[in-house]
Order: sequence, then C-alpha cells, then structure tokens
Amino acid sequence: MTARGRGDRRLGLILLSPTLVALGALTAFPGLWVLWLSLQHRVPIFGVARFAGLDNYAFLAGDPRFWGAARTTALFTVGSVALELVLGVGVALALARQRRGRRLALALLLLAWAMPAVVTAKLFEWLYHPAAGLVNVLLGGRALNWLGDPALALPAVILADVWRAMPFVALLCYARLLAIPAELYEAAQVDGAGRLATLGRITLPLLARILLLALLFRTLDALRAFDIMFVLTGGGPAGTTETLTVYAYRGLFQMLQLGFGSAIGVVVFVLVMAVAWAYLRRGRGNAVAA
Amino acid sequence: MRVRGEALPWTSDEQHQFYVINLEGRSPGFDVMMLDVIWVPEFARAGWLLDLTPRLPPDELAPYFPSTVEAATYGGRVWAIPWNMNVGLLYYRADLLAKYGLRPPQTWDELVAQTRTVRAGERDPRLDGYLFQGKQYEGMVVNVLEAFWASGTRLVAADGTVFPEPARAAEALAFLRGLIETGVSPAWTTAADEELSRRAFGDGHAVFLRNWPYAMDLFQAPGSPVRGRVGVAPLPGRAGGPRGAGSTGGAHLGVSRRSRHPELAVALARFLSSARAQKAMALGAALSPTRTALYDDPDLVRQRPGLPRLRALMLDGRPRPVTPYYLLLSATLQPEFSAALAGVKPAPRAIADGHARLEHFLEALR
Repeated sequence: MTARGRGDRRLGLILLSPTLVALGALTAFPGLWVLWLSLQHRVPIFGVARFAGLDNYAFLAGDPRFWGAARTTALFTVGSVALELVLGVGVALALARQRRGRRLALALLLLAWAMPAVVTAKLFEWLYHPAAGLVNVLLGGRALNWLGDPALALPAVILADVWRAMPFVALLCYARLLAIPAELYEAAQVDGAGRLATLGRITLPLLARILLLALLFRTLDALRAFDIMFVLTGGGPAGTTETLTVYAYRGLFQMLQLGFGSAIGVVVFVLVMAVAWAYLRRGRGNAVAA
Repeated sequence: MRVRGEALPWTSDEQHQFYVINLEGRSPGFDVMMLDVIWVPEFARAGWLLDLTPRLPPDELAPYFPSTVEAATYGGRVWAIPWNMNVGLLYYRADLLAKYGLRPPQTWDELVAQTRTVRAGERDPRLDGYLFQGKQYEGMVVNVLEAFWASGTRLVAADGTVFPEPARAAEALAFLRGLIETGVSPAWTTAADEELSRRAFGDGHAVFLRNWPYAMDLFQAPGSPVRGRVGVAPLPGRAGGPRGAGSTGGAHLGVSRRSRHPELAVALARFLSSARAQKAMALGAALSPTRTALYDDPDLVRQRPGLPRLRALMLDGRPRPVTPYYLLLSATLQPEFSAALAGVKPAPRAIADGHARLEHFLEALR
C-alpha cells in the first residue's frame, strides 16, 4: 500500500470513528449487556443477582406461555404481513389508474400510516365495541365479542395492524409503479397481452424488488409488534394476543425479572436477525439476477 | 418551602415503570411520591422509601380507614400515608329492583335469581344481568380476588403461602366463569374494563355492575339515562359464608429515601394528606378521602350526597395482598385467570398452572 493509500485509510477510519463509537455505545454495548443479563437471576430491586447459566432459557423451553407468545408472534407476523402486501399492491394499482382525487386518496392513506399505533388501537377499541361498535353494526347488529373471544381477538388485532401498515406498502408500490415506463405497457398491448398477462409479466416482476423490501420492513416490525396489542387487549383474552415483546415487557417492567425478561428479548433479537439475514441473502441474489 | 410538581405518565403501568427506572437508576429527582397502593411494599422492600414510623406522631394514622393503613404497612413499619382511596362496589338499578319487589342482593345466589326475575319481566334482549371486569388486566385480578374473599379464601395467606386453598380458589374462579356461561354476565365480559362496563350500565343496559365509586357521579350527572335510578350496596357474599368485601385501591404518598430534605418531604406528605387538603381534593377532583371523618363533612356531603353511604363500604374494604411481589403475582396470574373466564381452561388447571409458575419466580427471590 502506498503512503497516500495509508493516509486515506487512516483519514477514513478517523471520519468513521464517531459513527463506530456511537454504534458501539448505543447498539453493541446494550446488546451484549442484555445477553449477559439473560444468563443471570437478576431482580435488582430485591437485591437478587446471581449467575444462572442457561436456566432462564431452559425455563422458557418448557414454558407454555412462551410458546404461546411465539405462536402468536408467528401468526400475527404471517397474517398481517400477507394481508398488508396483497392489499397494498391492490391499492397501489388502483391508485395508479385513478384519474381524479389521487391527492386526496394519498392523503387518506398517509393519515392511517402517520397515526401513532396507540391512537389506532384506541380507534379500533371503539370499532370493536361489543354493542355499539361500527364493525358489529355493519355486520347486521351481530354481537361478536371481538376482543374478548380467544378465537377472534388475534384476527381483530391483525386487522387493526393491517389498516395501519398497509398504506406503507401501498405507497412504496405506488412510487415504483410511477417509475415503470409507459412504453413497456404499450409494447405489451401491441403484442396482444391481456390485462392479467400484463400484470403477471410486467407489473408484478417490476414490483418484486420493492415488495421484497416492504416484506423485510413489515416482517421485522411485525416480529417486534407491541403497542397495538398492548393497548387493544393487553395480551388477552387467555394470553391469545400476547406476543414475545409483550411477554418480555411483562417480565422486565412488571415482574421486574431482568434476567428472565432479557432472555425473551434475546430470543426476539435472534429471530429478527435471522429473518433479516435470510431476506438480505435472497435480496442480494435477486439484485444480481435483475 | 417551594414545591415543584412533576407530571406522571397516565396509566398505572407506565407510572410504575417511570418510578422503577428513576429509582433504580438512583436519580435523586423527587422527594414525595404518589404511589399506587399495590407498590408500597415493593418499594419499601427495594429500599426506596423512607421509613415513616419514627417520623409520624403515634396517633397520626388513627383517623384513616384501616385497610389503607394496612396497605401502607410492611414488615411492621409504616412506609406511606394514605392519600385517596377506592373500593369495589355493587351498583344496582334501584328502579328495576323496586318494580319486582326486590331488595339489594346480599349473596351471589340472590343476585343470580334477581337477574333472572328482572330479565324475565322486562323482556328486553339488550338488558344484561351483572357486569364486571374480565379483560386480561389488573382490574380483572381485583374481581377475582373479591370472588376469592367471598368464598372465604385468599390469594396469599398470612404466612406468605400462595393459594393456601387451591380448591376453594378454583371454585371461586369457576363461579365467575359460570356467570358468563349461564348468561348472567354477557360474553363480552372477557373484554370488559371499568369504562366499558360502566358505560353499558350507564346506558341502562344492565341490572347490576361492579365498579369503583367514581361511577356514581357519572350515573347521577344531568342527562344520564340512569340518573336517580341507581343504588349502591356492598358486593355480595356466598350463602352461609363470609360477607362480601370490595377491594380497596387508590394512592399513597411515600417519601424517597434519597430525598435531600427528608424532614420537609415528610411535612409535605402530611400536609397533602391532612383533612384540609383531602377535603379540597374531594371537592375539586372528586377523589375519595382516606380519612373517615370527611365522609360526614357538611360541605362535602352537600356536593356528594352519596358520601355517608360510601363510608360504610370503605370501612368493609380489603386491600389486595400486601406483598412486595404483588405485580409479579398479578402479571403471572392474569393470563391464567383470563383463560378460565374465557372458558379455554378449567378453573382448577388455571390455578394449578399459575401456582406452578409463581413458585418458579418466587423461588429465585427467596
């Protein structure tokens, strides 16, 4: 390496160092600390602090509440992300073809996305009201017990999340649709491709990359979902809407079991990292192919 | 002395989190703290509260309701001064009971029978029987505790044993589930918190309701559909068993052990809970006093005519288990109790599962 090259490298490191220090202090250190906590029985306010090895993880492995939360997290993630992607693409296609009122439609979409999840949850609490809620009124005055029936509560929470997050997918797709040159569609028309063929051969393949990105963002968010169920159901009834993060919160801030709560946090972290890694690998493959 | 107030987060859960982070982080931020009654033993055990026992005159706590003093006492020492309080009550539709020649129920069997009589006579499909709080949250735990007490058992025995009589506890829990199964309570009870149930009763859609004293002012407000038609009674007991008792709640004032002005802080807490201050709060903020004498205060009774009646109900109130592990108990048991109420787990299994989990966590603390 030349002297010039070494100098550049050093300058680069110096310029990077604030970022590295910040990332280290804000991400790596707390992450490692949580990992360390998860290996202990630690309840600081009662003066309990002793090394526990893998005790907390062993307890989780046989803990039905943990597996219930894992199952709920999985169902919530698959259900809400799938609906958000399908509806988001549909809404984006409709928006792109819409001639009038596009700005209004965009503004309404953004409104749902911009609302804090807590507000959305409160809104849906009223919509799901057993007697006076709009949802039951629209269903012809049925008295469905949306938030109190163990079979309905999770779907109800998923719908609320879809309402809130679908616009994010729709806006991403809409932006991509605007960037598809009109000539492509004209050429398809000349070739005699029908609507379905155009959608399947041109629109969806061109949306694929942005969809993958939306999928990644939404999956990571859904795996860490907390606020919407925390406000809407508190994890009930019968724990059917308790996700891993809600369980971790209960362990950390209510039961004050820092070691145990951290162990759940580590599991969520590993889960999120694994999913992100899988997506990124796939994404890189796609980028090369494209 | 200048006092600076600091706003707490809105919900009890967030307030608890706020205190834990600040106190565990050793920030000396505050001198006098408003504490939910259920936190007092926990904060005392954690060493965050100043022991008030030597700093209060001997008769200081005599004018207070005994259950509030009990909730402020841990390990034989006093850690907080009761500031305002709540008690679980039975609200009933006085007009409907009178119409069918009924008196407020003293036992649960009577309540169930009266519900049947009134609903058979009214023929209103929208009229529910007994509303209570069954959503998975602290409020539901309070309802279950009250059912335990009515069945003559408790969650934590005097020696600290959890579920000393599991069979009785299961029976009480199964009784609550039975109310929903038989339609005495609506199916949506499993999603009901204080407000959801209070509104349904306030709209005239139920005969009975379990709630806190705040609901009375709202029922009697101008324009309320049930204005002048609501009565209050103690929660029912079981036939041949003990009298029913409502759970107490409310706020205490504690002094931070890290306060740099402990004497001033104690003086402030005593002033804030004095008869004069509590009267002002009762008039201005509709908070119920912790001093028994204020319930007969002419100015207060003029504004809130229900107060003298409330006094007897407050006197009968019982605190939730006074233990430093209360939140651990509650957070662990909530999904189990909820599963029993929703009918996805038989009550005895819910109690057994909750018990086993509790033992695991408590063991690490002992």
